[in-house]
Amino acid sequence: MWVYEKKLLYPVEVSECNPRLAKYIAEQYGGADGELAAALRYMNQRYTVPDKIIGLLNDISTEEFSHLEMLATMIYKLTKDSTPQELEEAGLGAHFVNHGSALFYENAGGVPFTTTYIQAKGDPIADLYEDIAAEEKARATYQWIIDVSDDPLINDSLKFLRERENVHSLRFREAVEVLKEERDRKKIF
Amino acid sequence: MDAAEQREMLKLVQQADFVVVELTLYTDTHRHDKEALEQWRMAIKEASKTRKAYEKRYGPLSLYSVPSEQAIDMGWRWNQPPWPWQM
Amino acid sequence: MFRGTFEPYVSPFDPCPPIKVKTFVLPPQLFMNVQPPGLPQYSPAEALRQGSLWPALVDGFSKKEGIF
Repeated sequence: MWVYEKKLLYPVEVSECNPRLAKYIAEQYGGADGELAAALRYMNQRYTVPDKIIGLLNDISTEEFSHLEMLATMIYKLTKDSTPQELEEAGLGAHFVNHGSALFYENAGGVPFTTTYIQAKGDPIADLYEDIAAEEKARATYQWIIDVSDDPLINDSLKFLRERENVHSLRFREAVEVLKEERDRKKIF
Repeated sequence: MDAAEQREMLKLVQQADFVVVELTLYTDTHRHDKEALEQWRMAIKEASKTRKAYEKRYGPLSLYSVPSEQAIDMGWRWNQPPWPWQM
Repeated sequence: MFRGTFEPYVSPFDPCPPIKVKTFVLPPQLFMNVQPPGLPQYSPAEALRQGSLWPALVDGFSKKEGIF
């Protein structure tokens, strides 16, 4: 089970109301390489991977949920008190007629989240290489969001999240090495 | 209550907790690094201390911390703003 | 240190002004694969600010770099 912590992993501050930036940040909220996909991918893989790497998948998945909460905070604050007209001008008119001012798990283009973003191959190496790729793709996505964002406070939080992808990618690479140590290990009873 | 001051104190908790997050992932893949395991243990201890200092002033961050009787008497409730995304 | 560059082919028929040199990211984890024990660490405050406890894993990113 999980116990809720009434705090964010890293502080999120926003300079000004900016619904267009919220739309772009949705890519990491409900997109193919986003935090929801990451959290669900690892949480699901942990059941069938070798014991030695369960903890890593469990702990990274848990952290991804805290990233999801940071992104939700950004989207919430960037769109809070926006009028329907402002949302429309920011390209969120279609979002508004479907969801009002609610957040939704969708990508920057408004495409709803789907579990087809997640793979589960049941082969530890295939799954870990997918995880490494997912972290690098998420890192790149953060780069592109930073490139189109003029909000220095948001960019500070995005930079933190981007760096976490580096660390997770390294840990998954290490997990591959941990599994390589199992080569030719014959169990003697 | 000063919101800026609360934010600063919360940041100390976030800093201490982050060291635990980092060392947990590291020890997940470095099970034989004794020094790191000891640092991880001490980091958890430090984070717990920092958390207690915050909670004493602003109330529990999770339901693993016991709310004080005075806090309840003074009107503190778990279900009260600001939530993390509102702060 | 954690960046690479390449020079894309430029055709005289390209419609936009050419970008002669493109930069891309080669993040620290590519050169480590397994983190060695005992690497220097940031203070807790700096670690949170940087996004990692270890300077060796941090490469930073800013839009000023012109990576896209």
